[in-house]
Amino acid sequence: MSQAHSPLLAVENVRVHFPVRKGFLRRVVAAVQAVDGVSFSITKGRTLGIVGESGCGKTTLGRSVLRLLEPTSGSVRFDGRNILSLGGASLRALRRRMQIVFQDPYGSLNPRLTVRAILEEGLIIHNMGNAAARRERMVRSLQRTGMPLEALERYPHEFSGGQRQRIAIARALVLEPEFLVLDEPISALDVSIQAQVINLLVELRTQLGLTYLFISHDLSIVEYVADDVAVMYLGRIVERAPAKSLYAAPLHPYTLALFSAVPSVHPQQRRRRIVLTGDVPSPSRPPSGCRFHPRCPLAEKVCREIDPPEVVLDGRSFHCHVAAREVEQSGGNLEAASARMTILMSQLTQAVAADERVSTPAFLR
Amino acid sequence: MKPSETIPASHTAIHSRPPPPRGFWGDAWQRFRRQPLAMAAMLFVSLLVTVAIFAPAIAGTKPVLCRYKGRLYTPCLGYFSRQLEPAIFATDRFRGTYPQNLKTKDPASWAIWPLIFQDPYRAVRENEWPGRPANPAKDEGRPNAINLFGTDQYGVDVLAKMVHGTTVALLVGFVSMGLAGTIGIIAGALGGYFGGWVDMLLSRVTEVVMCVPTLVLILALVAFVEKPTIWKTMAIIGATGWTGIARLARGEFLRLRSAEFVLAARASGAGPLRIMLRHILPNALAPVLVPITFGIASAILIESSLSFLGFGPPPPSASWGGVLNDARSNLAMWWLVVFPGTAIFLTVLSYNLIGEGLQSATDPRLRESRK
Repeated sequence: MSQAHSPLLAVENVRVHFPVRKGFLRRVVAAVQAVDGVSFSITKGRTLGIVGESGCGKTTLGRSVLRLLEPTSGSVRFDGRNILSLGGASLRALRRRMQIVFQDPYGSLNPRLTVRAILEEGLIIHNMGNAAARRERMVRSLQRTGMPLEALERYPHEFSGGQRQRIAIARALVLEPEFLVLDEPISALDVSIQAQVINLLVELRTQLGLTYLFISHDLSIVEYVADDVAVMYLGRIVERAPAKSLYAAPLHPYTLALFSAVPSVHPQQRRRRIVLTGDVPSPSRPPSGCRFHPRCPLAEKVCREIDPPEVVLDGRSFHCHVAAREVEQSGGNLEAASARMTILMSQLTQAVAADERVSTPAFLR
Repeated sequence: MKPSETIPASHTAIHSRPPPPRGFWGDAWQRFRRQPLAMAAMLFVSLLVTVAIFAPAIAGTKPVLCRYKGRLYTPCLGYFSRQLEPAIFATDRFRGTYPQNLKTKDPASWAIWPLIFQDPYRAVRENEWPGRPANPAKDEGRPNAINLFGTDQYGVDVLAKMVHGTTVALLVGFVSMGLAGTIGIIAGALGGYFGGWVDMLLSRVTEVVMCVPTLVLILALVAFVEKPTIWKTMAIIGATGWTGIARLARGEFLRLRSAEFVLAARASGAGPLRIMLRHILPNALAPVLVPITFGIASAILIESSLSFLGFGPPPPSASWGGVLNDARSNLAMWWLVVFPGTAIFLTVLSYNLIGEGLQSATDPRLRESRK
């Protein structure tokens, strides 16, 4: 693509805070900051992968992009229009163009409706053709997802997990959307089915020119599917880059730790394992400074105090004081900086691990 | 398999085993049928419904069908409503006694009589049915061949009273719980789905209504209203009995409003009404039906208690509790206690058994374990 396209989806500084209420008067005592100031954009036809561990806000982000959850602040522009300020008919009109596929195909299909009723509902809501035209669309959608037409008269519980997920995809496609949020679409499936569904999604993308927001915790699948990848930690995007560049040279310490956990097929290529200690802090009381600092082996004084600003270079961005310095010292050579940080981190975490093994537990001292 | 390909007919062979696509209720019915107690209870209630519908044909003194002066009539419908009794019998001065009047006023007439020739509202007199003595009254009316369940103090047949009282017993349950179910589901649905201040308001209203003692309220109504009918009683039982249903419905709607299939419907552009009616309600209905069946049982008990206390439907109508009330003045007439008491007991028990059967037939946890 030579010319610069305006993005199909532009998310700016979206925050989703869930109030925590307590006491007789149900006063708001705190807020779970599930998503805290996330910005990104997706160009038409491209796929943005979002990775991160459970509880980091991936799913919340995916849902608030479609306004299935009300974000606390920020803006979500779809094709130039802020869907957070729309209402009524104009929001409904946009909903047809953006659909979602959920993680759990057992929970995302209404057990009391036949597949026909499930597929037809959106068509009826959006007034898409008469009965014959609707049927034609449903048939086309089922064929695209590789489901037999007999499925129409059956109930969801008569299908396997993989077939159900195909039905869920068919439901999303029947409205002929341009944009799909795929919220861990294969995590709940058997490994043997995962590849089928992923290939189906990739094929549909090229056939129909779809744009995806692909949410997953599986790094290798994101590498396969996504053009760009954003890494989330505790409600924020800590690093964002084109997939190739990110997988070649991760820069944020959290990304490094995440990637070191991916099993490798080649024994020679075994990565240095970086084992993080501690748990993810509570999103209702995020740490000061850099949110990753309590678990980061490379954390310094500045990390505890100052929230790292975004560093943008070579079409990618990250938030890290240490990585910024390393990149500067290596003269802009990202791979060298990445490699140096990996070694440093693995040494430090191993030292910590060894230390923990011999030391007496705190309560005995 | 290439997903983009149109699937050839051979692929559908996987689905060639033909289990009929059974919906949720079909499934639940299969599981309900396997419970003998619940099925027996269901059978008993069906029997009661049949008795209620055909009451005038089971016990009465008016012919089910008769030919009189060359035309066919169904005087038995007079038990449902005075207007349904053909006017000709009033102008010909039958005065409610058919057997002899038919014979003397039109020798060519014939009639099909109810199974039991006994009236629920008055005692049968001597020779009213050719060759049969009058109904015994007072202590004499113990069960005998003609009065199977005995007679009350005025000589009215207890069985006939009970047969005709079945309608009231059933109506009380269905009407009051129909009303309670409607109010409860609407209140619970709105509170659970919208949350926030709507939920706050509805929950508080529910709690207030929960504090109202139904029986006392009805007694107050009886004192206030000029003509206390059974329908007003039903309305009050319904208007105060919806709280448990509302709480359950609220919980179900609260749980299901964030279910993924509901989110998917919202992503498809479905509005709140569509989501509530089409997506949440069918999934929330089964657990809500259970308290409704228990509610029917307790409504029947309330009505019986009212009649027992003498605040039931006014005299020219029959009800089980009314028979019990008659027994109060003369406890030696044990048959006035035993028969209606047993009927109330069995009916309430049946509804409770049906409720329990329904619960175990639709409980999602039991469903999962079967897979």
